[in-house]
Amino acid sequence: MHSAYGIPIWWFLTVGAMLFCIGLFGMMIRRSAIGMLLSIELMLNAANINFVAFGSYMKLPTIAGQVFTIFVITLAAAEAAIGLAIVINIYRLEQHIDADKISAMKM
Amino acid sequence: MALAGITVGAALGVVLIPNILRAALFLGLTLVGVAGLFVLMNAPFLAAVQIMIYVGAITTMIILAIFLSHRVMKIGFGQAIYNPILAAAAAGVMFLFLFITVVNSVWINDPRNIIAAGPANQDIGVEAISKALLQPYVFPFELASVVLLAVLVGAVVIAKEDPRDA
Repeated sequence: MHSAYGIPIWWFLTVGAMLFCIGLFGMMIRRSAIGMLLSIELMLNAANINFVAFGSYMKLPTIAGQVFTIFVITLAAAEAAIGLAIVINIYRLEQHIDADKISAMKM
Repeated sequence: MALAGITVGAALGVVLIPNILRAALFLGLTLVGVAGLFVLMNAPFLAAVQIMIYVGAITTMIILAIFLSHRVMKIGFGQAIYNPILAAAAAGVMFLFLFITVVNSVWINDPRNIIAAGPANQDIGVEAISKALLQPYVFPFELASVVLLAVLVGAVVIAKEDPRDA
């Protein structure tokens, strides 16, 4: 019943943790809003890796990990669309997208 | 191993490269790497979805947004004023904490819960996923469609030019 790869699960979880922490780091050092969006995508992917890893390594056969990953991907697409729309709007209003200098919610 | 190296290396590129266009391209590479990891974890359908939606759509959209706000690329565009060493230390501590948790976890290392040798060869076809989506998970599925509709309308409304300015 086991596949031939023989990779233990902690290995995938470690990659997921690395991706998450890199995303966290990017979130902290970037100032431009698009850079922050990129970091968010990294963190979402880390979560996806963990979902799929647990889903496919579980002793009880379950498909839930993959189904939830599909939902995460859907919502990530939605989040990127809204985020980029906001970024473009802010750029049009202020000619920059520096997250430190944006303070108004209504122009 | 090589796949994980590509993924993590490209992710480092995403956060460390100052030019945001190149960072976005590295994000594409990272996402391809993650798709490869999905294949290794016995989820080929998700790998295909990942490449189509993430690499094909989201990365393209981000690059388009970068082009639309192109002055951002020229102005050296912010690696930040905050202390990057402090940020790296915080992220590193977070990683150590997660890694120690994973390695020491009783639940994960219990063979009754997790198969140690590799991913299970369970039924992972599109059919199983669609059945799961439409039977036990039908409510989140419908909710996702409502959210997508709202996002579609919202994105158009937000990105639309303000009629007062035009």
